Amino acid sequence: MNLNNISVLITGGASGLGAGAAKLFIDKGAKVTIFDRNLELAQTTATELGCAAVQCDVADETSVLAALAEAGKINGTPRILVNCAGIDITGRTATKGGPQPREALTQQIAVNLTGTFNICRLGADAIRELDDLEGEEQGVIVNVASIAGLDGPFGQTAYAATKAAVIGMTLPMARDLSAYGIRVVTIAPGVFNTPLAASVLRGEPDDYAGGVPFPKRAGKPAEFASIAVEICQNPMLNGEVIRLDGALRG
Amino acid sequence: MEINQQIAIVTGGASGLGADTVRALAAKGAKVAVLDLNFELAKAIAEEVGGLAVQVDVADGDSVESALATVKAELGTARIVMNVAGIGIGRKITNKKGPHPLDSFLKVVNVNLTGTFDVCRLASTEMIALDPLNEDGERGVFVNVASIFGYDGPVGNTAYAASKAGVIGMTLPMARDLAPYGIRVMTICPGVFDTPLAKAETGQEGFDRLIATVPFPKRGGNPQDFAKLACHIVENTMMNGECIRIDGAMRMGLMI
Repeated sequence: MNLNNISVLITGGASGLGAGAAKLFIDKGAKVTIFDRNLELAQTTATELGCAAVQCDVADETSVLAALAEAGKINGTPRILVNCAGIDITGRTATKGGPQPREALTQQIAVNLTGTFNICRLGADAIRELDDLEGEEQGVIVNVASIAGLDGPFGQTAYAATKAAVIGMTLPMARDLSAYGIRVVTIAPGVFNTPLAASVLRGEPDDYAGGVPFPKRAGKPAEFASIAVEICQNPMLNGEVIRLDGALRG
Repeated sequence: MEINQQIAIVTGGASGLGADTVRALAAKGAKVAVLDLNFELAKAIAEEVGGLAVQVDVADGDSVESALATVKAELGTARIVMNVAGIGIGRKITNKKGPHPLDSFLKVVNVNLTGTFDVCRLASTEMIALDPLNEDGERGVFVNVASIFGYDGPVGNTAYAASKAGVIGMTLPMARDLAPYGIRVMTICPGVFDTPLAKAETGQEGFDRLIATVPFPKRGGNPQDFAKLACHIVENTMMNGECIRIDGAMRMGLMI
């Protein structure tokens, strides 16, 4: 899809991978709206990049519907949905201190999985209602999983479960939406230089990149953005999960 | 790495996916060596893009060595190597005519798997001797071509699927072997593309039947889309050790 003048929605767009993606989509001429729970940070990022910001809790259907309507008013109904919003609550399944709290899983499911599903189902429904674009394609969904969803390290059972679920949704969702000319592709990033990774690792992501075969550093949000844009521009990519990790296996 | 001014090798570059990859690399400023069994076709593409045509049989070790030596002498050591050369045959493991002949199995494996391995081992040895390009210490990148048949192969494709699954399987350990030298290895797994190889295998009718099973877009892949992804892989340094399906969400069913 040609990105010029296309309305693009990026959840979790206030920081990290989402903000990196927003920057490149704007450079390509897209009209970007970033959704984030943190409105203040979203507005700061949006002002810096030159795009729109809308407060949204992706886990909450009412919030998603309201935010989608707001984005539609500002930039038109989004045809490209990039789901970067995510949280990571670390913790081992059981330790001497007892079992991992059930909420560690349910809270991550709410944001990482249900949040992604909410944006996909409500966003795709809105795309379906639009007048057809010229050409074969009507929309693209880019979901963000994690290599933890394929080979999760210790302390990541709950996070890995939610990301594996995003990976699992990819093919059936692509099949569901193929009739409407909407593609679905998932990116599974490794260690990236983001605030989320820094908080989970309790340090600079680059310092934890020693196990990455090559390049021996954390990924740059610009590199994530670059494959996200390639996915949107390449009509043959569909129903696939792409690792972006410098050959790292957890 | 930036493609501009780099030396690139594309095996099977004279037609199909390879030819459009040659064009895309040249359009981004690379000096491209077109390696192909069919020298006449290779010359035509090389002439079109101002590149170098070299005759090669990737299944023949001596031929690969001499082709790479020619590239080195004429253009220099390549930092971008794309292994697109491949062949296919349709034959069940056994049928009324008897068992799948071993020689046709080995022919497919020799071209698709051994040929890819041979080019990788020789070209990476040359690459290691080059200076790194950037602050990451990047020296080069291999883009190998497998197939979705390497994951879900239909009836009559044991040899082809084995050879392509072999290419998929080499990706991660080869990326790990070459990581200390700043050389990346990626694999693309195309679905049904509009190429001479695909149509020779299926015939027009079979091709149309296959395309009807692609979720979206419901058509044969355009080789230019393959080429675009191949160039993206070169340009995105974080991509390493991964196999990417490019197939319009197609999963191969039982039959072609």
